[in-house]
Amino acid sequence: MIKLIGPMSIALALGCSNSVVAGDASAGDQLFHESCHACHGPAGIGVSSYPKVSGNPIEYTREKLIAYRAGQKFGPNSALMIMMAKPLTDEEIENLSAYLKDAKYK
Amino acid sequence: MKHLINKSLIASVASALVMGCSVALAGGMDVPVIKITPVLEGLDKPWDMNVHADGTMFYTEKCKGLSMRSPDGTVTSIYGMKGSSGYSSAGEDLFCEGQAGMMGVVADRNFDQNHRLYVASTSDQYHGSGCKTNFERCDGNIVMRLTLSEDMKSVTDRTDIVTDIQYKPFESNQPFGGPGAHNGGRLRVGPGGYLWISGGDRHRGVCPQSPKLLCGKVLRVDTDGKAHPDNNPPTGFDKRIYTYGHRNVQGIDFRPSDGKAFTAEHGPWHSDEITALVNGGNAGWDPQEMTAGRGACPDKYCGYEPEQMDGMDPAVRASYMPMSDTRFDDLMLPTWNNNGWSQGTSSAAFLKGENWGIYEGRLATGVLGIGFGGTPIGQRIDMVGITPDGLGINAITRMPLGFSKRFRGLVMAPDNSLYVAVDEGEIYRVTAESMQ
Repeated sequence: MIKLIGPMSIALALGCSNSVVAGDASAGDQLFHESCHACHGPAGIGVSSYPKVSGNPIEYTREKLIAYRAGQKFGPNSALMIMMAKPLTDEEIENLSAYLKDAKYK
Repeated sequence: MKHLINKSLIASVASALVMGCSVALAGGMDVPVIKITPVLEGLDKPWDMNVHADGTMFYTEKCKGLSMRSPDGTVTSIYGMKGSSGYSSAGEDLFCEGQAGMMGVVADRNFDQNHRLYVASTSDQYHGSGCKTNFERCDGNIVMRLTLSEDMKSVTDRTDIVTDIQYKPFESNQPFGGPGAHNGGRLRVGPGGYLWISGGDRHRGVCPQSPKLLCGKVLRVDTDGKAHPDNNPPTGFDKRIYTYGHRNVQGIDFRPSDGKAFTAEHGPWHSDEITALVNGGNAGWDPQEMTAGRGACPDKYCGYEPEQMDGMDPAVRASYMPMSDTRFDDLMLPTWNNNGWSQGTSSAAFLKGENWGIYEGRLATGVLGIGFGGTPIGQRIDMVGITPDGLGINAITRMPLGFSKRFRGLVMAPDNSLYVAVDEGEIYRVTAESMQ
């Protein structure tokens, strides 16, 4: 029994640490339109000199936002994104990633 | 006596009538009904428009080129940029990068006879050997005079009338630090048919106060690009300069009552400004390092300092790096500074016509919306009432449009409607109907 509990605990622990709770696209929509849309446009279509950020796999957006939050640079507007990403929680990043995957303008 | 009584009576009646009249006016202000309808959708970064009496509209898309919408709704792609397709012809030297590309468009005042349009764009034709770094002149913003064919569907002649407005060729260590920053780029024809060209500092510290570089200036030239004979810049300045010391002017128009020029320009995370221009005046922007008590700055540009990558109270930044530095004797004080915020003022147009009711004569000012460091995003069009001396405002009302977008280009049409381009890809027509 003890032998069984050990591996199960490890599996559960691993499962928890690796699992990603599915993002709430609706909450991501709300967050996006509170701040991000001013630069990236509605539904992340990209406007002016700001890039399109919608239509990407969840993993891609998540990875980018986590990197920005950690202060990594990817281009000339990185400073702005780092500033915007700094306060994001994991949950907010998941929500934004879920929303942007299928976000469409009109 | 009878005569006196009659005079007194008449005066009283007249007074009552006047008072009654004024009360009636105060109780029934002419607030117009404002409506907005889409004209074109699905565009790629529309930047500016020029509208004619029959409804023909010319418009630019920043990374594509110049097109025309005919009154029946047909769209003709007239003059493209490098890499564009579907245009009658293209300028292979015209390119877009970051904030730069094809920007302002305006018609000659004799357009019906000469079919001439003026268009501002970024071009690599005049770089010469001056674009190897960000710290030398790099001529990359130009103004073209295009002559259209009889059917207005193609260009029969292109003459570059101004070829030496500077461009930022490389990335620098600044917010929004990519190449192509701060080009100004709005064109308007002012009193007498002269062409006004608004500029930006292209993220170079020395630009706005330089007597010879055209970056950070407002130019007034004739239709060949020559200086207006009455321009009065300081001694040693390029005679094409009407005003200097600007940061990034994307709005310019002329007050209908007196023809006075007003600009709208972006602030550096503080103090968007509307300014009444004075011939030869200084708008007071000077982002040079080792100047006005400042030390060295990233890439020799202090425009976003101090602590340029962090949000802070805009007032702190304004005191360190002012938009309108009062140390200049020839400073043009701003008419309005957006309560010390920068939300990205862009284009501006005076509302003309009685159909605008109490808003007639106000300056419609588009705000793109930028919300860093706790500043509200603020996407809107304000209708700003300006005092007769141009040094203050006496009213400000948000235009009731029912939505918020990045309002990039505003221009009046001959029928007194306002055309509005938004970065999201649409052009709208805003009409006002007086209720009196």
